[in-house]
Amino acid sequence: MRHTIVSIIAIILGLVAGGILMVLIGSNPLEGYTYLFQGALRNIERIGNTLATATPLIFAGLSVAFAFRTGLFNIGGSGQMLIGGLCATAVALSFDVSRPILILMMVLAGLLGGALWAFIPGLLKAKFNVHEVVSTIMMNWIAYWTVYYVVPGYFKGEFLETESRKLEEAQTLRSPFLTEMFQGSYINMGIFFAIIAVIIIAFIINKTTMGFELKAVGFNRYAAEYAGMRVNRNIILSMFISGALAGLGGVALYTGNASSIQIGILPSQGYDGIAVALLGANTPVGVFFAAILFGILYSGTGFMNAMIEIPPELANTIIAIIIYFAATSVLIERLLNRFRKRRSGQEMNGPVGKKGVS
Amino acid sequence: MKKRKFGLIMSMVLAAGTMLAACGGGDDAGGKDTDKKAFKVGMVTDSGTIDDKSFNQGTWEGILQAKKELGIQEKYLKPSGETEADYLKEIGNLYDAGYKFIVTPGFKFETAIYQAQDKYKDAKFVILDGNPHKGDYKPVVKDNTVAIFFAEHESGFLAGVATAVQLKQGEAGFIGGMEIPAVQKFNWGFQQGVKYANENLGTKINMKAENVLYQGSFNDVAAGGQIAAQMFDRGVNVIFTAAGGVGVGVIKEAKDRAKAGKQVWIVGVDVDQYADGIYEGDKSIILTSAMKKIGHATVDTIQHEVDGKFPGGQTLIFDAKNDGVGIPDKNPNLSDDTVAKVKEVYEKIKSGDIKVSAEKGDLFK
Repeated sequence: MRHTIVSIIAIILGLVAGGILMVLIGSNPLEGYTYLFQGALRNIERIGNTLATATPLIFAGLSVAFAFRTGLFNIGGSGQMLIGGLCATAVALSFDVSRPILILMMVLAGLLGGALWAFIPGLLKAKFNVHEVVSTIMMNWIAYWTVYYVVPGYFKGEFLETESRKLEEAQTLRSPFLTEMFQGSYINMGIFFAIIAVIIIAFIINKTTMGFELKAVGFNRYAAEYAGMRVNRNIILSMFISGALAGLGGVALYTGNASSIQIGILPSQGYDGIAVALLGANTPVGVFFAAILFGILYSGTGFMNAMIEIPPELANTIIAIIIYFAATSVLIERLLNRFRKRRSGQEMNGPVGKKGVS
Repeated sequence: MKKRKFGLIMSMVLAAGTMLAACGGGDDAGGKDTDKKAFKVGMVTDSGTIDDKSFNQGTWEGILQAKKELGIQEKYLKPSGETEADYLKEIGNLYDAGYKFIVTPGFKFETAIYQAQDKYKDAKFVILDGNPHKGDYKPVVKDNTVAIFFAEHESGFLAGVATAVQLKQGEAGFIGGMEIPAVQKFNWGFQQGVKYANENLGTKINMKAENVLYQGSFNDVAAGGQIAAQMFDRGVNVIFTAAGGVGVGVIKEAKDRAKAGKQVWIVGVDVDQYADGIYEGDKSIILTSAMKKIGHATVDTIQHEVDGKFPGGQTLIFDAKNDGVGIPDKNPNLSDDTVAKVKEVYEKIKSGDIKVSAEKGDLFK
């Protein structure tokens, strides 16, 4: 409950800060925010789009949060998503099998691709103590250039060198049923996979021995080692699962929301995942709601922008400020702790946040 | 429980919004109602920013000119990504906000416009440099859409001739953005222009395969600078860049070299880039620019719509014949002689005496 309060304070601070910026540029914040939320939620199609926008963010947030719990800072979400998307696209374009099997294969390919991309930094961390921040960022660029090479080389569009062939509707996660229900939105099955992932990850973290060990490594690596846990194995496993989640995010992004993969772009969702995880206090359910909020912000911006007289760059700045403040929940938690300490005069227990680093 | 939490978050969010409003004061609330009569023209940007010194900017300047001449109300939106879904989202946003005349610069909008023209039947769409299709490259231009193309090869050809005639001898290079038809045609046209001048006008401008490159994006400014630096180091004197933001990096690199006293030139693209190449006083490294008169085409189409003569369902081509392409009217870095020769060539293209191929043929890349 405390985490929820902290997150809500962070969001409010973010909105206040964004509102102040709106006032400074001479717009009315109430109007702005009304349009922002209208843009995200005013009809069923827009709600669908908002959920679809949130889907990759749920995966990215889960990925970051999961690694955080083991004390690892996986900022390679972008690269893992890219590889996940590439693998899924490659499978979709290469195999001609019935739809359920194809979808299953795409999901598996994306999952394994992303997992592999995080497994390597995990291995480096476990064996040689290479810091995962450095290696995951490097892996981002390897992913970037891999896509740059593979897509034009093997899956090139008919006339376009810069993106893969467009997937047929039957080769994507879109389903006519959902599209119809949400009146032409690009919402797709990705959202269901995301919800399933949230449940599974929550279960792993909270109810299994594996989850307990992973958390133990996160809280104190040496204590965990002393207790007889295999720290290195847990680090690799944690990165593997974290990467798998990001890879699934890539599947949702490139074969669900979009229907082709482009070269020369690292998906920003990988980085947004960090903010989502922080705001969601690194819990799966928290991540889910944080991602939905981000989805609302991202899909509402355009409409806000179209309705009030501000340039798009400023609209994006406002969103960025809200996100920036929202991601400072750790600071707010510290402040709250300090207040409480002062009031009760005694030490509060537990580390800051639920993560194990620093 | 979870639902309650979410509900709580939402209500807090909304409450915060209300509180803010109280202190904000509604200075320009309702501003949009006052000029309701104004004809609303919207634009969605392609990859890159509105000040990309190229396609987005050219289109936007056209819209601003139309604003001046026709008193329209304008708005552009920048999509958060570059997928069809992102584009459609912004088109929907413009539509819902009452902007029912939407201009989209770039082939990347092809599939988005294909869907939008059916989805928003009472809106009108202008797609520059592209044809709406559903992913199979079979153009479907509905009655509420106009597709506009430019003869980039003719524009590149003229710039190539101008470059060769002005510099007489040296080494030329090309830096493209993405390897897409519009950029490729500029490249091929430029090479043909240089060749034409070498064969008919006694110039000696050399081009090597290694100096013809596509960077692969329209926004990597740093990469543009690096590629340009490598080319200049290999002895290239003039680079033709058709690369959006990448070109910004190329121009910057050339300016740095010019400041250091080196003699290098850039041939700009899409719009007259002379002002962007100024490095000292009024000296610019922009030799000339291979223009697509995007703004001209945009204003033209808006004008037609205002007059009630929207050429819906048509695919228009702007080329030398209708003054849709060419080099700028003023070229401070070109001699009168060069300008005169280019003009001759321009007339020959117009009359059909010179045929510029839009195909690769045996040219580089």
